[in-house]
Amino acid sequence: MANVLIVDDSSTMRKIISRSLRQAGLPVDDIYEAGDGIEGLSALGDKKVDLILSDINMPNMDGLEFIKQVRANGNNVPIVMITTEGGEDIIKEALSNGASASIKKPFTPDQLNEKLGGLL
Amino acid sequence: MTLDAAVGEATHLKEDDMARHVIDATKEVFSTMVMMDLEECYPLEDSVTHFHCSISGMVGLAGSYTGILAVHCPQSFAMKITSNMLGMDVDEMGEDVNDALGEIANMLGGYVKMVLSKGGMDINLSIPTIISGEEYSINSMAESDCVVVPFTFEEQKFLVSLKLHKE
Repeated sequence: MANVLIVDDSSTMRKIISRSLRQAGLPVDDIYEAGDGIEGLSALGDKKVDLILSDINMPNMDGLEFIKQVRANGNNVPIVMITTEGGEDIIKEALSNGASASIKKPFTPDQLNEKLGGLL
Repeated sequence: MTLDAAVGEATHLKEDDMARHVIDATKEVFSTMVMMDLEECYPLEDSVTHFHCSISGMVGLAGSYTGILAVHCPQSFAMKITSNMLGMDVDEMGEDVNDALGEIANMLGGYVKMVLSKGGMDINLSIPTIISGEEYSINSMAESDCVVVPFTFEEQKFLVSLKLHKE
């Protein structure tokens, strides 16, 4: 069973992702939440996390900078972007910063299962 | 209302095409995230600027195109949308409803950005803005025109509008 950190400035979206992870039947144990990249980095400091699901467009610290910081800290946990920002160049930048995959909002539990199944 | 002529020229999209993108995006977002199958109505001839007991969620686009994507709906329907998204009863206006409407606007803005942008880096989306109240008006200072599409779900009706300008 894996612990998942959801980083998204929308509390509604964090709840939807959390519920969808359960509905998809993925082997998820604890789910932690953060409202931006800064809170995400803080959560990584004191929690054991096996997978990060992160938005890109967030206040204070966006998802692209968040990935950079996570990798700069030597953390190799898989990071999947869940975002409305589906543009090819942005996804390329996220992948080059160290993201493992991306999922476009809106999504279904089946799409989560398909993308995340191999990472958990 | 019609789409700005420069937008049509740059995108090769007529207002009917842009309205179709707005309709497809809205129906997909509501079907997937809100568990509501919407019916669209014919786009309005005029923009709507005055709202009563409503809430408006908006995201701005800036870059090679500028504009605003907005969702305007009655507060009673906004609470129903939020209830469906959260999987729990929501019977008062507040942070949850604001957040839900903002996220819907954000997803619709992302869809429009995908239609307009070549790779995603030439247009930026703003963080969502919410306005709600008993009576309020929203007026754009720019001359750009827009697409306004009404949607219905059961007895409820709401609007999605897109105002665009080519830079």
